[in-house]
Amino acid sequence: MSLTSISLRNVRKHTDTEINFAGGLNYIVGGNGLGKTTILESIYYLCTTKSCCSKSDANVVKFDEDIFEINGTLEGLTKDSATVIYSVASGKKQYYLNEKQIFKASSVIGKFPVVMLSPSDHAVTQGSPAERRKFIDSVISQSSRTYLDVLLEYQKILRHRSALLMRIREGDFADSEMELEAWNQKLMSAGEQIINHRVDFLKGFNSYVAESYNKIMGKMESPGITYLYLGGTKSDNISKTFKDMLSEYKVDEIRRAANLVGPHRDDFIFEINNINLREFGSQGQHKTFQTVLRFAEFFYIKDVSGNTPIFLLDDVFGELDAQRAKKVSEYLSDIGGQAFITLTDFGNISFLKAGEKDRVIKLNEDSKIAYA
Amino acid sequence: MQIAEPLLVAIEELSKLPSIGKKTAQRLALYLLKSNGEQFESLVKALEDLKAKIKFCERCFNLSEEQLCIICKNEKRDKSKICIVEEASDVIAIEKTHEYSGLYHVLGGVLSPLTGVTPDSLKIKEFLKRLEKEKAKEIILALNPDTEGEATALYLSKLIKPLRIKVTRIARGLPIGGDLEFADEATIGRAILNRGDF
Ligand SMILES: Nc1ncnc2c1ncn2[C@@H]1O[C@H](COP(=O)(O)OP(=O)(O)OP(=O)(O)O)[C@@H](O)[C@H]1O
Ligand SMILES: [Mg+2]
Ligand SMILES: [Zn+2]
Repeated sequence: MSLTSISLRNVRKHTDTEINFAGGLNYIVGGNGLGKTTILESIYYLCTTKSCCSKSDANVVKFDEDIFEINGTLEGLTKDSATVIYSVASGKKQYYLNEKQIFKASSVIGKFPVVMLSPSDHAVTQGSPAERRKFIDSVISQSSRTYLDVLLEYQKILRHRSALLMRIREGDFADSEMELEAWNQKLMSAGEQIINHRVDFLKGFNSYVAESYNKIMGKMESPGITYLYLGGTKSDNISKTFKDMLSEYKVDEIRRAANLVGPHRDDFIFEINNINLREFGSQGQHKTFQTVLRFAEFFYIKDVSGNTPIFLLDDVFGELDAQRAKKVSEYLSDIGGQAFITLTDFGNISFLKAGEKDRVIKLNEDSKIAYA
Repeated sequence: MQIAEPLLVAIEELSKLPSIGKKTAQRLALYLLKSNGEQFESLVKALEDLKAKIKFCERCFNLSEEQLCIICKNEKRDKSKICIVEEASDVIAIEKTHEYSGLYHVLGGVLSPLTGVTPDSLKIKEFLKRLEKEKAKEIILALNPDTEGEATALYLSKLIKPLRIKVTRIARGLPIGGDLEFADEATIGRAILNRGDF
């Protein structure tokens, strides 16, 4: 599947921009602040109905305007036109597929799979465990509807359970003991499914990570993701460990009125040759690993869904040394799909070549488009 | 826009009903205005009777005209079974299948700590009292298979367990996350026949 053209109206700096894309690699080149990332953001909107980069749609509307509109033409088995419109005044966002309004984001997600590597990915390898869970959960959810459903159910159970713990803390424990046990059982059954799913997922995903890593590093090393669940237990009797921990933490959970046990507190350790990246990695190693994770995600989704994602790479060459950057660019030409790559300067990266299926798109000082 | 006030009030009131929008409400109001006196009177009477004569059964909290509902009063019903449901509308859904001849108990909702629905806000104490008096041999849990429904089912089964009464739950096959009220009769019927231990 590929995006053949896009038009942006009042999207951040872009008042009225139209771009035609190539089916291979599209290099979007221009100085700082000219609106390159905004183009990737707009593509992300078309594929997911959401922004990749901003929590608020209103921030994306050009200053002093009311409405932004993004249009795109996507060609795969069918030719589709997608439109996202947001109005600050009404606070409403509308999504249209072939002129028909779509009311549920979930019916768009997965139709146009997209993978994005961006500078904010530093949080995945360097940030808190929540960032790593978010990454892993989003990759699994994109390929398994069941997982997404259990995850949503689990989050609901957590909200109920913390309200219940609060009530117990405020006073009536005797009366609520059995109710807490009922919610514990719900928590354990959804929680176990999540843990098992993550364990199974990593068995397959780790080989994608290894392959991407070795392509980018050009040598054999053994990277890997280790899953630490339920406080890093080594036991594979998940039910029993879960149950034991719930009784161990019971008093604490009530005292703090918080859910202290379960897969919402798990972590994933990224390692290279058994060395913990978070603790010992250099900046460049972190960036390499972030890049590897996104390539692995790309190929994983491609294989599992049978639908080649659109690949968005924001500023990937900024932090990599020349040799790794070269490997990444070679790897990109192998992906067999469409990619969008932002760069501040094309000329400085001498190894980059635009082939027949590729295109260099320049953003000028006034954010106008030119094709090189 | 100027509309006679009584008409406006009628439209307002009608549009508060579930699944009735402003347009439908307006159509209904105008229709009633034009309808003959007899039809209008009988609608008004039916609505008044609905509120005045229907109350909750003292035993099972189903909707009833008298202290006991027609199901509780019926000597032919199998008193060894009690089927626990969320709302009276679920009783109607199960009755329509003709697959069940036991009694019911309507909880009036499900546990939801998040929105403040506690065991005390449901007819659970009343149910336990019933178990002391009546000689039920099987409790059938027929709550919606969503998060809150399942947590409530677990809670009830924990309460009943020490009493050594068999607890079953209607079979899955109901659309997950779906409402019992909206499932088709064949599905509910099959689910009741294939109920399993809980
Ligand atoms: N809502 C908005 N309305 C108008 N301009 C905006 C709005 N939001 C951001 N901008 C401007 O748009 C520019 C940011 O665009 P973008 O992030 O796409 O640039 P970029 O080309 O990726 O830059 P860099 O190379 O620094 O990453 C900035 O100049 C910023 O001031
Ligand atoms: Mg940028
Ligand atoms: Zn009754």
